[in-house]
Amino acid sequence: MSMNFSEFKKLMGADPLNRDAETLRARHSSPEFEAVATEAEAFEEKLQAALHLNPPHDLLSQIKDISQQPVRQRSWIPLALAASLLVFVGAAGLVWKQSHQWDSVEAYVADHYSHDGSTVVAKAGENLPDQEIAEILARLDARADEQLSSIITFIKFCPTPDGRGAHMVVSTDQGPMTIIYMPKTQATDGEVVRFDQMHASLVNLEHGSAAVIGNQSQNVNSMVVMVRDALKTGFVDA
Amino acid sequence: MTIKTERTHRFNELAEAYSADLYRYAMWICGNDALAKDLVQETFLRAWRALDNLKDVAAAKSWLITILRREYARTFERKVPAFTDIEKVTIEDNDELKPDERTERDLLRKGILKLDSKYRDPLLLQVVFGHSCAEISEQLGISKSAVMTQLFRAREKLKTQLQKDGVTGNVHELF
Repeated sequence: MSMNFSEFKKLMGADPLNRDAETLRARHSSPEFEAVATEAEAFEEKLQAALHLNPPHDLLSQIKDISQQPVRQRSWIPLALAASLLVFVGAAGLVWKQSHQWDSVEAYVADHYSHDGSTVVAKAGENLPDQEIAEILARLDARADEQLSSIITFIKFCPTPDGRGAHMVVSTDQGPMTIIYMPKTQATDGEVVRFDQMHASLVNLEHGSAAVIGNQSQNVNSMVVMVRDALKTGFVDA
Repeated sequence: MTIKTERTHRFNELAEAYSADLYRYAMWICGNDALAKDLVQETFLRAWRALDNLKDVAAAKSWLITILRREYARTFERKVPAFTDIEKVTIEDNDELKPDERTERDLLRKGILKLDSKYRDPLLLQVVFGHSCAEISEQLGISKSAVMTQLFRAREKLKTQLQKDGVTGNVHELF
């Protein structure tokens, strides 16, 4: 049974690009049907254009960065071995364990910076709008005060040993330095990590920690002091 | 190709194929640029960790949308985002339009943002991702006839809004 006009109109309103045989037959059955279809297509074109938004230029590269981090994979143990292991570990009942991504915060910092630290420094441009900085840090329950915000030239989410963190570049009178904020990772306060002609100083914060990274010619101490004072952590900026 | 390289290759293909549409979808459901980027990144982070569970490449798009929608639901439970950044994100593409076309598109965009989610969700899945009504039905867990009704009503509401505001030309009332 062929579609009546009301049915056809409803179909065009719900699925204007429908091209199945029955729809096409109905469309070509009369000028009235054809007009409804043409009008629906014109509206659809406007709708498609209205919904089309340009994604941020760095979104794809940031997503591809995700694949550079180690995968937490289950190490399955044969069932027979698992049964005896269950006895051994008792209440813990672990039949699998997640592999550590990094052995230590120090290893993570060195690994992370070696992966994209210099690329990110190169990407950093002029100062960012405070709003952009605030929005990203708020998602990590953190906030940078006005002084710190004013020198941040790049910020993005990044993986940390315990979830998501922020990778920032700050502009200082000694040149750009990098700050990695790890909201859920505790570090040994004041510890210095040296790698690839760079050095990082770890700062424990009220919640989580940060690494301030500079090259050999830079003294990161003043930035460590600023981060300790200016990076407020552990609240939700609604 | 090593397993790791192959895995990375698969992941990058998904990112190239779907990140832009997922961003658009995220923007239209949350209206906030930073949150949309965050949602898409979180979606791909979860996808990267669970990539081995994706056996059927044809199901990748729906799989990613499901991850994003779940993540959005979780986010929304924690914090209501500040609306809305659509205007900021769309300024560039409006520049080449004639004034009346720009007004119409702005009206349409504001109308889309004002749609109830039960109308907007299926519409976004259909127009942004090219989902069929059957796929939308499966994605949203509602019947195909309900999908058809909601899609029809969504468009009717937008057309009505466009005609109403087009007559008065009062675009600013919608902001």
